[in-house]
Amino acid sequence: MKKIVIALSLILLFTAPLIVSAPFFVHLMIMVLMWTVLGASWNILGGFTGQVSFGHATFLGAGAYTTMILYLKLGIAPWYGIPIGGLVAALIALPIGFICFRLRGPYFALSTLAVAEIIRLVALNWESLTNGPVGLLITTLPDVTFRGRSIDWENKIPFYYIIAIITLGSIVATYIMSRTRLGAYSLAIREDIDSAEAIGINTVQARVAALSLSAFFAGVAGGFYAMYLRYIDPDAVFSIALSIEMVFIAVVGGLTTVAGPLIGAIVLVAFGEIFREIFLVHFKLVGHLIFYGLMMMIVIRYLPEGIWGRLRLRFGSQH
Amino acid sequence: MALLAVKGLTKYFGGLRAVHDLSFDVQTGEILGLIGPNGAGKTTAFNLIAGFIHPTRGEILLDGESIAGMKPYAVTRKGIARTFQIVKPFRKLSVLENVTLAAFLRFPSRGEAESQARQVLERMGLESKISALAVDLTLSEQKRLEIARALATQPKLLLLDEPMGGLNATEIEQASLLVRDICKGGVTIIWVEHVLKAIMNSSNRVVVINQGEKIADAPPEQIVENPDVIAAYLGTKKR
Amino acid sequence: METFVQSIVSGILTGSLYAMIGVGLTVIFGVMRIINMAHGDMVMFGMYGAFLSITFLKIDPFLSIILWIPIAFLIGVLIYRFLLKNIVPAGELNTLLYTAGLSLFIANLVLLIATGDYRTIKLKYAIMPLRPFGIAVPIPLAIAFGMAILITVALYWFLVRTDTGRAIRATSQEPEAAALMGVNVDRTAIITFALGTALACAAGVLLAPSLYLYPTVGEILVAKCFVIVVLGGLGSVPGAIAGGLLLGVVESLGAVYVSVPYKDAIGFVIFLLVLLFRPSGLFGVGKS
Ligand SMILES: Nc1ncnc2c1ncn2[C@@H]1O[C@H](COP(=O)(O)OP(=O)(O)O)[C@@H](O)[C@H]1O
Ligand SMILES: [Mg+2]
Repeated sequence: MKKIVIALSLILLFTAPLIVSAPFFVHLMIMVLMWTVLGASWNILGGFTGQVSFGHATFLGAGAYTTMILYLKLGIAPWYGIPIGGLVAALIALPIGFICFRLRGPYFALSTLAVAEIIRLVALNWESLTNGPVGLLITTLPDVTFRGRSIDWENKIPFYYIIAIITLGSIVATYIMSRTRLGAYSLAIREDIDSAEAIGINTVQARVAALSLSAFFAGVAGGFYAMYLRYIDPDAVFSIALSIEMVFIAVVGGLTTVAGPLIGAIVLVAFGEIFREIFLVHFKLVGHLIFYGLMMMIVIRYLPEGIWGRLRLRFGSQH
Repeated sequence: MALLAVKGLTKYFGGLRAVHDLSFDVQTGEILGLIGPNGAGKTTAFNLIAGFIHPTRGEILLDGESIAGMKPYAVTRKGIARTFQIVKPFRKLSVLENVTLAAFLRFPSRGEAESQARQVLERMGLESKISALAVDLTLSEQKRLEIARALATQPKLLLLDEPMGGLNATEIEQASLLVRDICKGGVTIIWVEHVLKAIMNSSNRVVVINQGEKIADAPPEQIVENPDVIAAYLGTKKR
Repeated sequence: METFVQSIVSGILTGSLYAMIGVGLTVIFGVMRIINMAHGDMVMFGMYGAFLSITFLKIDPFLSIILWIPIAFLIGVLIYRFLLKNIVPAGELNTLLYTAGLSLFIANLVLLIATGDYRTIKLKYAIMPLRPFGIAVPIPLAIAFGMAILITVALYWFLVRTDTGRAIRATSQEPEAAALMGVNVDRTAIITFALGTALACAAGVLLAPSLYLYPTVGEILVAKCFVIVVLGGLGSVPGAIAGGLLLGVVESLGAVYVSVPYKDAIGFVIFLLVLLFRPSGLFGVGKS
């Protein structure tokens, strides 16, 4: 049963753009998958270790800028740039973790907010590297031939497959994490950090490891974001709002679950896009974040374990 | 050489002197009772030994090696395990998982860690609760779970902070047996307890502290006759 | 030297308003142990209140504070009663996430109504700054400063002299003891939350003539607010006042002597250092 569901999901994941190929839907699916990766990233830290970060945009931004700068300044193609962006984000996470994890609970959350703001300001002002508030723009992506045909980057479908693979990677990583000692330690930390220390867990090290893994996926998603939208600036990729949206996806979907981020992304992004369209048409305004805020309040109040966190038991799934 | 030697241990919280110039030894195989009125500094002493807070002054030697200032996890790896006065189970995890997590310290593979955890749980009389969530246990069971978790790290020295707090008479009787049994199994114990009868029956030696300072250190039968101890417990200000 | 004095003065003026916002957040934290991510949006609400007053009601923004303080108090009561009351028992982190959702909701609702345009309030009497001793003091900031002092003094009187004020202070120092002594915990919480909200809103009204207003201004304000209360020690009212003044001065000195773009970063760097090395605040009075 479980295997069938997984197989069907995989088939669906890789054939979806062939079934509905209207650009708007493909774009929507790309956004859903990108936010799934971001939600999964946040879940690896927030869901497993229980450490609430309000600064995850830092890692998204680090990945986005790395990919962009490598391409624009050194001519390194984005398919190398994206994983390198993930690694850079994972590296940046190390010092941030060693500093911020000296703090607990809400104090940790506030410190991540502060770090993210500092990094946003640095990105805004370090013009020689980031081009400051003007941002960075890619006009053309490099030529790639796949099975003898040149890939058409104006079409969205190639992007869909790239993000589908990244999404799969993030979900598999979450699954693996849930089965390893790091995952078990993380849960112990989430449940009671003093007890975790008392049984010999180096909680700083475990939290830094989880943060770094989490940052890797945020960085990869950031690299993808840069390449897909072809334009980034500090306020777009380092904003507090972005960090908060990641939290929402993970929480609404269901923390600590493997499929939660996907569910959270489908609910928030897909409905959010629909709201966005409605508001754009009727009010000429971007209003989908109202929906995000409302969903968050409803979920925390009535479904604290998240949508998938509640549903999965019905489906008899642990993940 | 003493298993644990505490020398001149002192801790200030701002202006408050929680532990002052505390010195005592623990020999391998002993059960050392640590008693004193509420707020005497017993839990603080445990927190200092286990690395949860760092001393203002003083030395803590385990097998002659200084452990003062180490992080709690490092102290546990060196062989000191503790329980908390107010239990701190991993609430939403199963009883087995609670203990398995601790067993990972000495058994990196899940299979071995789990079978170690099962053994310890059996000794604690919790084998029937293995798949219950920790949060669903009774207080007495949670206290035993806490001890099981500590034992699963295979300590040389076990610090028990009021393992009988909140238990009824039968449970206290059982817990006393358990503590002696653990000691027979080769684990040295320092035991903080308010139930004086249990301490007096089971300890080889008792250290009494009052307002952060040691006022007595003797076998139980001498402790009950010590005038300083009686004064401290009757609340007469000693100056 | 003159620039130095000038920056100190403008720092203190802005700082007094930061202090008011900070005091609001810190009393709420003290009594309820919640970090209210929507606090900045209450400030934003006050700013738009001032804007509405002058644009539609033709009331001077500083005068309109008499109208907005009770309204904000009521809003605070309603938010607490119908939204937060059920969430607070679910723990610090859930409350933090919930108020983050509330913040996003409020900010974007206002965005929908007021659009994202940057607005300013122009006061006829405030075109030229005052120049006592050759130091430029913008009139709106001077008035705001005076009113901030009045409000803060009134608040102090309330906290020290009234039974409700004493209950608030007792709860924030020793919650269990206060409950045992017969303090009505629920009533204290509701009043505290409403009071904190009213303070934030009042600060918003006072700030409005000196800042740009836009719906998501709360985001940056709430971040500053955390800096302030952590500097002063979470839960401490005098700490928040000192923290607010300090942040105001640091920012204005930073803008002159470090660099304008990095002036906001200085506050955050100090914030991190304090969190790490003096978690109970610079003055060691807060709760860590
Ligand atoms: N983290 C702390 N900060 C400030 N004071 C503390 C802290 N921990 C304990 N104390 C104080 O230290 C004293 C000793 O407390 P404790 O060691 O818990 O006593 P006991 O366990 O003997 O009852 C008490 O006055 C207590 O209030
Ligand atoms: Mg104690």
